[in-house]
Amino acid sequence: MPAAKSVIISCAGIGSRLGLATTKALININGKSLIRHQLELFKDVEDIRIVVGYQANDVVDEVRKYREDVIFVYNHRYFETKTGASYYLGAKDGNEYAIEYDGDLLVHPDDIKTLLNQDGEWIAYADKMSDDAVYVKTDENGNVLAFSREQGDYEWTGPCCIKKDKLKYSSGHVFNQLEPYLPIKGIKVRACDIDTYDDYQRALEFIKGW
Amino acid sequence: MTKFIFDLDGTITKQETLPIISKHFGIQEEIDTLTKETIKGNVPFVESFIKRVFILGKLPINEVSNLLEKVELYPKVIKFISENKENCIIATGNLECWVEKLVAKIGCKCYCSDGLTEKNQVVKLTRILRKENIVLKFKTDGEKVVFIGDGNNDVEAMREADISIASGMTHFPANSVLSVADYLVLNEEALCRQLNQLL
Repeated sequence: MPAAKSVIISCAGIGSRLGLATTKALININGKSLIRHQLELFKDVEDIRIVVGYQANDVVDEVRKYREDVIFVYNHRYFETKTGASYYLGAKDGNEYAIEYDGDLLVHPDDIKTLLNQDGEWIAYADKMSDDAVYVKTDENGNVLAFSREQGDYEWTGPCCIKKDKLKYSSGHVFNQLEPYLPIKGIKVRACDIDTYDDYQRALEFIKGW
Repeated sequence: MTKFIFDLDGTITKQETLPIISKHFGIQEEIDTLTKETIKGNVPFVESFIKRVFILGKLPINEVSNLLEKVELYPKVIKFISENKENCIIATGNLECWVEKLVAKIGCKCYCSDGLTEKNQVVKLTRILRKENIVLKFKTDGEKVVFIGDGNNDVEAMREADISIASGMTHFPANSVLSVADYLVLNEEALCRQLNQLL
């Protein structure tokens, strides 16, 4: 039997770079909130854990329209921390393997199916696209060797999956949580994340073809 | 070992017990006014509790106890408790004489408030349960404590617990509860999944 997995969706941030004055989970993408798109992607996963912080009650209200059996995880220090802390908090009392999915990310539904069927630990990345990216360096087999702010073969988008016991409370990013354990198997996906208003406009175009 | 301490009203029971009692005895208006003022923060919890016992204390204990014995419970939560009886505890502000039949049905240890009874009535409130003291007692014994609750009188216990779960199954938890909670669950599936993950 495959090891039990949890999906952790990080929705605690204030979305300051986007400038729409709303947490990113609630922004409208082609008529649906971003979090609704994500809940549809993970509809077959039993243990969904949504990390909330800024506008927590609004996110809870939106989620419960579509799904009642989610476990909401509070990151009360969302202003001082980044997604690395939310990943730890979301994972620490969940299942053995913790899949991290940023609340500002859209991944092609077929690629999500592929990722959910993977065993063990992995990191997903995409073709370079965003304004403000972190890159991954890979070997000839696509395994992730390093993360870099300057250059790399692909853009680090996530999601990723590692054993929850490897995560620690940190003030860093998700990729900082992964760095001590590299190399990790890499998988290329069709994905876009939404950090800035330009990313948002691109995402609307990007998912039209899905 | 992990100890699971549950609030009773709205966490194990599907309905709050106070409105059931007040409806049965036709004292809704009196109780509703007090409840509303308490929720607004105009009457502090302990004061509200003392006033509530003063009102309810005049009711026949056996009738209240029989009424509460029939309150509907969350079946999956009851199943979890019965499978982990030794490590599950109820902490309720209710008086023991009112909830003893209900609690006996659930089958785990329970800490309540106490009152002096005479002629089938409560004549004096003698002790108000502070739930945080139960959490601290188990922590002092070296146990990891998980607290599950939904109301203002759960906040201090949740703050002291190693892990606190806000239960939004019967009503959405008070904001004070959410400000200290590690987790929020909205139905039994989510709560029981999380409890089993914490075993």
